[in-house]
Amino acid sequence: MKNCLIVDDSRVVRTVASRIIRDLSFETLEAGDGAEALRKCREQMPDAILLDWNMPTMNGIDFLRALRREENGKDPVVVFCTNENDPEHISEAIRSGADEYIMKPFDADIVESKFAEIGLI
Amino acid sequence: MQDTTFNEIADLALRLTGQVIQPSKSYLVKSRLAAICRRESFSSLDDLAHCIKSRPNPRFEKEVAAALTSKQTSFFGDRDLLERIVTHALPHRLKASKTGRLRVWCAGVATGQEAYSLALRLSEEAVPALKGAEIEIVGTDISPDCIQVAEAGTYGHFDVQKGLSIHRLMLNFSRQDTGDWRISQKLRDTVSFRLHNLLEDASSLGQFDVILCRNVLSQIAPSLHARVAQNLANQLLPGALLMAGRGESLTGLLEDLEPSRDVRGAYIRKSKSGAVAA
Repeated sequence: MKNCLIVDDSRVVRTVASRIIRDLSFETLEAGDGAEALRKCREQMPDAILLDWNMPTMNGIDFLRALRREENGKDPVVVFCTNENDPEHISEAIRSGADEYIMKPFDADIVESKFAEIGLI
Repeated sequence: MQDTTFNEIADLALRLTGQVIQPSKSYLVKSRLAAICRRESFSSLDDLAHCIKSRPNPRFEKEVAAALTSKQTSFFGDRDLLERIVTHALPHRLKASKTGRLRVWCAGVATGQEAYSLALRLSEEAVPALKGAEIEIVGTDISPDCIQVAEAGTYGHFDVQKGLSIHRLMLNFSRQDTGDWRISQKLRDTVSFRLHNLLEDASSLGQFDVILCRNVLSQIAPSLHARVAQNLANQLLPGALLMAGRGESLTGLLEDLEPSRDVRGAYIRKSKSGAVAA
C-alpha cells in the first residue's frame, strides 16, 4: 500500500483529507507544519505529499524546496493544497518542484482527479 | 411534490426531450427546476405543474424540459475515446478528404467541456497524421443555459479541477476576477456552439466527419434511440464516423449503420446498394 503525508496546520483539513486519501487506498501520515513534515520525510520518504502553503514554523514552499534537496527527496509526488489560487502562486509552486496543485476548497472528486492526473492511482 | 406533479413533469420531459426520469430520481426534478421556480415565484413544483396545465405556453414548457436534462460533464471525461478520435478517427477521415477541412460534432455537449477537451488536445502536440488538417468543432445542447456557459468558456473552481492537470489549466485558461477560469480565446475560436434538440432533424448543422454522442442515449427512452441515431446518422458525410459513449452501443439500432472496420467503437453508414464506392 502506498502512503501519503498530509501537511496542513488545520487539524480539520488533515482529518478530511486523510479520510479522502485513505479511501483511495493509501496509508496516511500527518504533519502540522513544514518542519514536522521534513522530520517525517527523513524518517521515511512517503510516496505522496499533500501540502498546504501557509503554515507556521516552515511554510509549504520552503518545505518543498528543502525536500527536493534531501536524499531521495525527488521521489515523492507533491500535490499542493492551498487557498492560494492565483496563477503566480501556482507557477511558483511548479517551479519549486510541485507535481500537482489543488485549490481549496476541495472535495473527494478533485483529490481523486488530481491523483489520477499524476499517476498515483 | 404530489405524485401527479411528478408524473406530469416526467411526461413533459419525455415528450419534449425524450428523457426518462425515474420516480426514484424525483429529487433531480426538484434541484433542476429550483432556479425556474425561484424566478417565477412558484412556492412549489405543484404550482409549476398547475401553471403549465392551466396556461399552456410552449416556450415555458420547452424551457422546463431543457432544464431537466442532465448537465453532468467534465473535462477529458473519456480520455480513451478522445485519443481514438485524435489518433485514429480524424486521421482516417483526413485521408479521405480533398480539402483537409474536417468537421466534428459533439452532440449533447452540456456546458461544453468535451468540445473544449478535444480542441485542447488537438492544440497540444502536433499529430503527424493530422498535418495540414483544419478542424472545426461544433457542440450542441438542448439547454440555452448550457450553451451560454459553453460559449463563454468560463468554468468554476470545481469544474477546472476535475479532469484537467494543473499544467493544462495554467497553459489554457486565465483566472477571472470572479475566481472562475476562462478558456483561451484561441481555443474558443476553434469551437462553436448551437442550440439543438437531438429528437429533431439536424440538417441545418451541416454534414460532419466525426459525430460524438456521449452519455445522451443512456438518458433517453429506448423507444426513441433509433430516432436520435437516425438524426445523427443523417449528418454523416459518406464514410464518416459516429461514436457513442462507453456502454452505449448503437449496434442493431439502425439498418443503415454498421461498425467501422477502421476505427474501434465507431459506426459508419452502409453504402447504399448499387452505389459505387468512390
